[in-house]
Amino acid sequence: MSAELGKAVLETARKNGASYVDVRIGEVFDEHVTVKKGLPDDISLRQTNGFGVRVIVDGAWGFAGSVFLTKGEAVQTAQAAVSIAKASSKAKKKPVALTPSESRKGKYATKMKKDPFRVPLDEKIDFLLHAERTIAGQSDLIKSSSAFFRAFRENKLFMSTEGAEISQQITWCGGGLEGVAVRNGEVQRRSFPASFRGNFSTSGYEFFESLALSDHAKQVGQEAVKLLDAEKCAATETDLILTGDQLALQIHESCGHPTELDRALGMEADYAGTSFLVPNKLGKLKYGSKYVNIVADATVPGGLGTFGFDDEGTPARCTDLIKSGLFVGYQTSRETAAELRQKRSSGGMRAQSPMALPLIRMTNINLLPGNWKSDEIVEDTKKGVSMMVNKSWSIDDRRLNFQFGTEIAWKIKNGSKEKILKNPTYTGMTPIFWGSCDAVSKNDWKMWGTPNCGKGVPGQVMYVGHGCATARFTKTRIGVLR
Amino acid sequence: MSTKQLLEISEKAVKAALKKGADQAQVASFIMDTALTRFANSQIHQNVANKNGGVAVKVITKKKIGTLRANTLDAKKIEDAVEKALNIARVSPPNKDFKSLPSPQKWTPIKGAFDPKTAACTPEFRAGKVKDMIQKAHSKSTRIKAVAGSFSTGSSSFAISSSLGVSAYAQVSLASVNVTAIAEATGSQGFGSDEQHSRFVKALDHIHVAEEAAEKSVRSIKPIKIEPGEYETVLSPRASATFVSFLGFMGFSATTYQDGQSFVKYHLDEQVFDEKFTVKDDSKDPWTLYAVPVDGEGLPKKSLKLIDRGVVSEGSICYDSFTAGKEKGRKSTGHAPPPIMMFFGPMRPFPINMIASSGDASMEEMIKDVRHGVFVTRFHYTNPVDPTKAILTGLTRDGTFLIENGEISQPVMNLRYTDSMLTALKKIDMIGKALQRTGDTTTPAMKLKKLRFTGVTEY
Repeated sequence: MSAELGKAVLETARKNGASYVDVRIGEVFDEHVTVKKGLPDDISLRQTNGFGVRVIVDGAWGFAGSVFLTKGEAVQTAQAAVSIAKASSKAKKKPVALTPSESRKGKYATKMKKDPFRVPLDEKIDFLLHAERTIAGQSDLIKSSSAFFRAFRENKLFMSTEGAEISQQITWCGGGLEGVAVRNGEVQRRSFPASFRGNFSTSGYEFFESLALSDHAKQVGQEAVKLLDAEKCAATETDLILTGDQLALQIHESCGHPTELDRALGMEADYAGTSFLVPNKLGKLKYGSKYVNIVADATVPGGLGTFGFDDEGTPARCTDLIKSGLFVGYQTSRETAAELRQKRSSGGMRAQSPMALPLIRMTNINLLPGNWKSDEIVEDTKKGVSMMVNKSWSIDDRRLNFQFGTEIAWKIKNGSKEKILKNPTYTGMTPIFWGSCDAVSKNDWKMWGTPNCGKGVPGQVMYVGHGCATARFTKTRIGVLR
Repeated sequence: MSTKQLLEISEKAVKAALKKGADQAQVASFIMDTALTRFANSQIHQNVANKNGGVAVKVITKKKIGTLRANTLDAKKIEDAVEKALNIARVSPPNKDFKSLPSPQKWTPIKGAFDPKTAACTPEFRAGKVKDMIQKAHSKSTRIKAVAGSFSTGSSSFAISSSLGVSAYAQVSLASVNVTAIAEATGSQGFGSDEQHSRFVKALDHIHVAEEAAEKSVRSIKPIKIEPGEYETVLSPRASATFVSFLGFMGFSATTYQDGQSFVKYHLDEQVFDEKFTVKDDSKDPWTLYAVPVDGEGLPKKSLKLIDRGVVSEGSICYDSFTAGKEKGRKSTGHAPPPIMMFFGPMRPFPINMIASSGDASMEEMIKDVRHGVFVTRFHYTNPVDPTKAILTGLTRDGTFLIENGEISQPVMNLRYTDSMLTALKKIDMIGKALQRTGDTTTPAMKLKKLRFTGVTEY
């Protein structure tokens, strides 16, 4: 990647009146390997190259991006960003202010043992076909089965007029399985290790191998079929146990998004909405029970939201969001942190591609481990339901009223899993739900990767992580479906 | 870059693929020039422009398929992309379901799909419109606390060439405006919003959008709580659009239909919806926003009746050449996703130009017909719960009102609905006569006999 192109951008924008300029030049490689019903379904590579220029002129932001990596285009795009910022200044109430620069020269690369892009494609295909055929072989009622692998790599160079010059290589990969059983118009699905196409980690191919998909394929197929004959999850209020694969999305929707400071300040009001965690509740609002400790941590090894520096050049760090149930922190950028008179950004500004504007994005939003063992939580539950693997999700525009469905549930009676339940759903209000959390385990704490978090206008997709373990929530409303 | 230049890029890449040993090849190239001025807290906070372009290469050798999508229009890099696509194909197993890339079919360009003035809008123009909207919204009431939204303009073009002689292209312009207003009084907030979309920027009435959002936000202050349950419900065109677009997404793709995961599969030729309910997918209709004559394989996009007077049939399903090839005698309906979507969206065929037929009722008549019910401005975060039963869940947003004795009486707290569309749209009392675009979907207002609300957001 060309530092020369970056310098041309910085110089042009500065000469045209920018008081601050940063440029990201990058390339993305995104490999998809999916097999379905014994055949290749999507074997493809997506490559993206380009750059994006962000400037402040007359106290207002401007941004322009392009896929054409030439010096002429660099100059034109820098000029365009300046013109856009000048136009922005026409509808400005106050000038943009940033927290002090933490910029530096730096390098970062995801640690890995086995480069996923160097593993031969046919090896991946053979592996996936074996797992997928195992699912299909469990029953004639399996009408669709698939297995997938995905590898992603982003090489990027960040430069700014504050002297930053940071190059990073972020690599992640993962995969999963899915089996769909159909009978008389009823469809039941099971996935492994989670839905949303599996699990992902900033690691090498060794992470994908550790998923051991073939070892779980039989269970995926059998459980999808078993669900067809299972009892429906009844409507009631009961103790709810969520395993990490579902709790990860619960954290994402009801803690990750509402603690994004841009949302809380109204900057996403026209699209995804605002947040019930408004600034005057910081340090005062009881978000959850004393067992609830949640952090935004971009430094966790293997987390899908792990990196060296964010797209403003801020080094990766860990920030408390919820401490012993109290709302204590936001995910911030340099601009929004300054708005709250904080000294530094939490370091979560990221863009989906070099040509996109960085936004506050989740890094790894983790529920810290508790003191229980996951089995102990089940044994301690007299009457309840345990739900796992997400199937549907929805939450309101302030992140309060949520409803989730999962693929499968187990009825718990007197400390034992009694039977499988189908079509499970649960619903609640965020602070009441987290306030009812009375147990968090430690032995099954792990990182879950969500590669498809959407935000912003124009819409951007980002890869984020959630560390969590099995947890219990008392008196939760379940079984919303008729 | 012109569509002619894009076509030359695609043709050159196809020739390169054949030279390197492909049996068949298809290359779609695209360019997209977009700009968006976004505002929040009554000031511009994000103002962006983006120049994107690339190629989607598909090569076949001995029934083995390789695809590569590259964000580049550089000749040397495209040649490299073709080579990589071939390398993928060579190591892939043959796909027995693949019959052939499609042969060319006659197509005609759509007049009025592209407006050069919309494509050429400047940042100053957009900022001026934004300033007008912020001022207008605040001028409606001193209770308006903040105004948010965006004004976007742009254009995109694509060209497709294949070794079987397909040669097709399209160019469209798009302009959108949306405004969300937040009003406040004595500790209560009210939200209101509106939006418009057009191929022509001059057709957008941005002042009306700002006024509508502001008025709704003021009327939404101090909402009361109503109990969950089944209510007669009047859906604005924007709320109707959520139901129609999710029906399209869940039901009418050949991929989900063939996998047995579409509700259509289990209700063929049944009166599954109210007989007043008709939805078509038609890229040539003047209401269509993304007016492209051909799909991502360069085949003409056929107009399909997805729902014909409440009935779905085999003729409702959207096919590309691959899914059509899996059924004897079936032909593509021209619903392969366009090249730009191939980069960002699903690869399966699905409807992107849906239009629900209008009825003969005015909004006033629909509200007057309700004894005790709910008016919904728009839905938020809707998602399928069970696609085969067409069950959706989501919340209301930006203006939910109680209707009592034929009149809107007061704002209510946002409600969660969880219901099957096969139930909710089975009894539609009235359909509005005015159509409105919400993104790619065009819909009228609708009065439903009942919609099942399952929860309340208490704020």
